Amino acid sequence: MSEHSALNTILRPGGITPLFQPIMRVAGASASVHALECLSRGPAGTNFAAAGVLFDYVRLKREESLVDRACISAAFAQSSLLPTDVQLCVNVHASTLGRDVGFVPFLQTVAARHAIAMKRITVEVVEHAPPWDGRSFLEAIAQLRAAGAKLAVDDVGLGQSNFKMLIDVSPDYLKLDRYFVLSCSADPKRRAVVSAVTQLAREFGAEVVAEGVEEPDDVECLRGFDITLLQGFLYAKPLPAEGVASFCAAA
Amino acid sequence: MKLASVQSDRILIVDDEELIVMAMRKYLEGLGYAVDAAHELEEAQALLANYSYDLVIADLRLTGIGGVEGLQIVADVHQRCPRTRVILLSAFGTPEIERESFNRGADVFLQKPRAMMEIATVARTLLEHR
Repeated sequence: MSEHSALNTILRPGGITPLFQPIMRVAGASASVHALECLSRGPAGTNFAAAGVLFDYVRLKREESLVDRACISAAFAQSSLLPTDVQLCVNVHASTLGRDVGFVPFLQTVAARHAIAMKRITVEVVEHAPPWDGRSFLEAIAQLRAAGAKLAVDDVGLGQSNFKMLIDVSPDYLKLDRYFVLSCSADPKRRAVVSAVTQLAREFGAEVVAEGVEEPDDVECLRGFDITLLQGFLYAKPLPAEGVASFCAAA
Repeated sequence: MKLASVQSDRILIVDDEELIVMAMRKYLEGLGYAVDAAHELEEAQALLANYSYDLVIADLRLTGIGGVEGLQIVADVHQRCPRTRVILLSAFGTPEIERESFNRGADVFLQKPRAMMEIATVARTLLEHR
């Protein structure tokens, strides 16, 4: 038996620290906060304080559902500190939707506990490794739709966030991964991908959210494709809940 | 010791015994290495997926892992970075496991217990002769 159970450390109260990164709606020279993506960090002082290590570990342990639930609980517990007029985006593994039949009722219960309307929630579907139970996954997607939640496909263009996922989820938002966004203004190949995803979103009746926006030149490039939802360090790093209200007021 | 080399070298310790991890980390950090530690195979794999290491020092008897199966860590390391050196430690090593560890790409196989100074000397030698 191990002297040290990392999963227990992550899941104990206070193990997950929620952060909130604004997604900006840019119109002309002005930008306002459209949504907040709920992000998570593991226990401070451990390897899991880095989100990449945290979620790679969780996926290797095949405990996505437990940790997805813990991340949502931790984020919603701080909702009283957040503006009520913005969307809240939560990351959920496709494997959680496919394997955890109680997930959608759980989300509804936690949301209700914190007086968050389901129509305020966008579920960002993330997946790194198939397979998941296709039928259960589609049922969970239908339940989320019926409950009023919006849907996004995260990391479009990478890994399992592929065309099949787009058809299965029929998302409201396509989140364009930072790999394609960073330096798109200087790279014709990246612009080609941005153009293709924008066209795809139009066909799906969805909007593109560009992640990893760091350079003003890239903003101009993205605006040229009529992308108006932008997220990245150029606007704000992930913020603790206490810092969100003042950021939104200043935006 | 080549100080410049030591200052930039990053070591990952993989062992489920906290006291051993603490002692080894303290000793190696005292020599100027940057040291991370993992207590489970999956934690080590997650670190390897996110960072580059010059050397991995791993105990074969990780949680839930025994015998030849513990050699999975060598494959994980070399899949990520073929240039990363690997020292395997085991209190229960057999000639078969030792032979198989070299077949899979481990650089050194040490029977436990070993003095920290001895492990550090082997580590330094490996890092200086990459």
